[in-house]
Amino acid sequence: MKRTFKAIAVGFTSAALVALSLVVVPTAAQANTPVCATVGGIKSCQGRTTDGAVYALQAPLNFNGTAFLYSKGYRPMISIPGRSDVANSSLAEQAPGPDAATKVAVATYLLSKGYGVFSSGFSKAGWNTDSALKTNVELIGIWKKEFPNTKKIVAWGESGGGFMTQALAENHSNLIDAAVPLCMVGGSVEAALKMAGDALWGIKTFFDPTIKGGGYSAGTAGVVEQLTDIGKIAAALTSLSGAVATGAWPATATAVPAAVKAAVPSRSAVTLVGQMAGLPPISANIDGVSGPGDPASLPHAQFVLGAAPAIATLQNMQDAAILGVLLVADLEGINGGRVFDNTKTDYEAQLGDAKAIYNLALSGNDAADALLLVLKGAPRDAADPAALTKLRAMVSHKGVVNVPTIAMTAPFESTTPGGHVQWLINANKANLEKAKTAAVAAIRAGKPRPSTTNNLMVIWNFPPDKYTTFTSAGLPDTTRPAANGTKHCNYTAAQLTAMAEIGALAAATGKLPNTAQARILMRKAGGLSFDRDFEAALLKFYANE
Amino acid sequence: MIGSFRKKGLAAASAVIAVAGLALTSVPAQASVPGVTANSVKLGITVPMTGIAAPGYSKVAPAMKAYFDYVNANGGINGRKIQLVIEDDRYLPQEAVIKTNKLILRDKVFAIVGALGTANNLAINSRVRLGARGVPSLFVNTGFSGFADKKKFPTIFPLFSSYAMEAKIMGNYIKENFAGKKIGLIVQNDDFGVDALKGFAASGVKFDETIKYVSGTQSPATALTWVQKLVAAKIEVVYLFGVTTATAAAVGVAAQAGYRPQWIFGSVGADATTIQTATTVPVALLNGAISASFMPDAADTSDEYVKFFREVNAEYNKGVTFDNNVLVGMNGGMMVANALKAAGRNLTRAGLMAAIESKGSTFASAALVPLAYSSTSRVGYTGYWIGKYNATGSLLPIEAKNVVYTTDSGNGPVVKTTTKRPALPPKGLPQ
Repeated sequence: MKRTFKAIAVGFTSAALVALSLVVVPTAAQANTPVCATVGGIKSCQGRTTDGAVYALQAPLNFNGTAFLYSKGYRPMISIPGRSDVANSSLAEQAPGPDAATKVAVATYLLSKGYGVFSSGFSKAGWNTDSALKTNVELIGIWKKEFPNTKKIVAWGESGGGFMTQALAENHSNLIDAAVPLCMVGGSVEAALKMAGDALWGIKTFFDPTIKGGGYSAGTAGVVEQLTDIGKIAAALTSLSGAVATGAWPATATAVPAAVKAAVPSRSAVTLVGQMAGLPPISANIDGVSGPGDPASLPHAQFVLGAAPAIATLQNMQDAAILGVLLVADLEGINGGRVFDNTKTDYEAQLGDAKAIYNLALSGNDAADALLLVLKGAPRDAADPAALTKLRAMVSHKGVVNVPTIAMTAPFESTTPGGHVQWLINANKANLEKAKTAAVAAIRAGKPRPSTTNNLMVIWNFPPDKYTTFTSAGLPDTTRPAANGTKHCNYTAAQLTAMAEIGALAAATGKLPNTAQARILMRKAGGLSFDRDFEAALLKFYANE
Repeated sequence: MIGSFRKKGLAAASAVIAVAGLALTSVPAQASVPGVTANSVKLGITVPMTGIAAPGYSKVAPAMKAYFDYVNANGGINGRKIQLVIEDDRYLPQEAVIKTNKLILRDKVFAIVGALGTANNLAINSRVRLGARGVPSLFVNTGFSGFADKKKFPTIFPLFSSYAMEAKIMGNYIKENFAGKKIGLIVQNDDFGVDALKGFAASGVKFDETIKYVSGTQSPATALTWVQKLVAAKIEVVYLFGVTTATAAAVGVAAQAGYRPQWIFGSVGADATTIQTATTVPVALLNGAISASFMPDAADTSDEYVKFFREVNAEYNKGVTFDNNVLVGMNGGMMVANALKAAGRNLTRAGLMAAIESKGSTFASAALVPLAYSSTSRVGYTGYWIGKYNATGSLLPIEAKNVVYTTDSGNGPVVKTTTKRPALPPKGLPQ
């Protein structure tokens, strides 16, 4: 009986979501005036904020008083054939998820449980956190006006939206009751820019020096330059993927001396770029421990230690380097000049212990040194000082956690690995230590004691220990869907709804849920782990600090 | 007035209580230390139990556990029984990272002990972030000198004499004993090899031919190219500073080719039992080869530690042939037991590390060379003795027994010393 009811509820809300897209979006002139309709027991409203951002509000007629404000992540400023359509960039997305079906499932679940959901498409695509922060503040006001019986607001967001969520919590903690940043960018956009920029510069230097990689023109010319770069990167990665076994270099690798190319396989340069940039050593289909054939055999060990790191890096680079192009171009446009700067970067230091850990994949110390020498002699990218100053003045995090915050991240995912959240953990720890010192001083001075409560809980989305499968030819099967906990924000609907429930619990009580409550929800979702003792590798940007 | 005074007094008292409360929260109680209960302490180790490096190395952890079982049967340490969780890392860095995280997160071990392999320990340190977590990693099974860098590896305690020390001591030996001969070197092209080259450079020895190989590429086919180069260069003395599979490949191929130089093997790649079990190369081919060690030979039953560990092995590690790997495992166990004893009943991770720094240089262990732990040094053993293999694979002292050379991993001198090893403590238990 219960199941039937649930099925009907889901059916109703799904229908309501479909209906939502049919609602006519008012023009900018009608800003702040939502147009609402009730279908299937769900009240759905659409409108535009004063900055022109499209928004959507939805709540069931039995709204329980808790609403989720969702901030979507980075959406490209340009359309990339086969990857993204800029026409979708301005759409309001009501819930997180790696695809439209998961987003609908998560939103549908929340509505069926009596929660409200709302979001905006933001007034611009790209790195938009400065304006998005204002949009979100306004949107919360719009929601509360439309749904005056609202008691609690949970802010959540994915990737760049996770960054916005934390920024909202730091700067407007009075407006929200809990924050749930997912696969978040942590600290500053410069950290993400560095990882993507280092990867992009490495690909350019080793495999195709005609890749522009920065200094993109404004307007249509710039779009063409970005798309050309993305095409060149794709061509290089395709060529390298086909040459893992042979070690052949692409014909476009003209900046690498012939002697180096003769002595060092291209897969070693791929591994070096990945490791110096800080990309994870595992990927969507490569777990870093599985090999073909007899596990006690030399070929098995040679695959795991020699080839797997390069294949994993190639898979991760598809995201990192393309993001590099988009982010570099976008941030250059916003700040009026070049922003990626590696004039002082010591790539040997950034490679660090990876030289020993991935020694076979790098073909030994001498090969790694020869590759580092190529990087040393290659032209570096210098930022425009004024643009860099502007970049650094953009919204960034202080690492202060004012409201109960439950972050979820996959430590080894391709785009925002765990180092982002690790920064937040470390900053929060440091801030709490300062607060404790201040509290002692305040108590001694007879003043009110400031809060020393820890408000941060981090839930890790670990991939399975083993997930690589091999074809009958003994090659890794890279056509299978990405393992959970690898690709960017690759969460299941069950994991996302568990996070929502944990966020709602926190909002209801004003404090982090106890670990037993969280663990029950996490166990049901699977693939999640809560452990204060886990430490993710810091991003190179922070490790160098 | 009285009321006001009283209020102030109460406020002050509350303040004191609150401050004390804050202070107390930063000092963990004994019960909250991971892996420690009133009557047990849980430790973890990652080693290759399966996979390409398992032959030989798979004996290390069970041997350590056998010694702990012996200790537990004799009352444990400071009233606590030692539990050892063994995780198989297959000698793969990524696997070592996964398994170490499990030891810390799932098993809640107090400390990691005896983790094996340079690359694996580097991966564990940087990927698992032992230092940031404050998790001790005691007596790692690698001679990479870099692990003695306390700033970079704040919770790691090396044990073995370093590869750099070995190369420096052996470099001196070569200069003194093979002057005028053409000398060749086969060395691994990684940090293991870098350490060796550093030591050779410090000794001033020159090689007429240096061949570098990447770990994982050694095979009879690769070894054939080495031998061809050595023969072409008329090399008379070959120093192979690599792993056992490289030693076996080189010796086997050279014998087939009729090339019979004076072999010198690095201590890592010269374990006769491993060569016997993991390769098809007869141990007799080692006969006459020179090597170095900081441990007594596992076959030397006149050594009181060897004799004792053999007895423990017979009782608590039944059916396992006693060899150098078993000896290393049990000796590592004894070092851990020493450290736990020195840390006292109130066991904390910081206290354990402090105990090794303050008392570690006096710990009783089987090695024939001194320990150098102090508040400013994470260096464990500090030297080697030099020996020659017989036809059965035993390493016998080339000079008088107990002649030991000590040095550091930098440019310090090599000193010949007749060091006095601490006697085996009563019943082989830490005192």
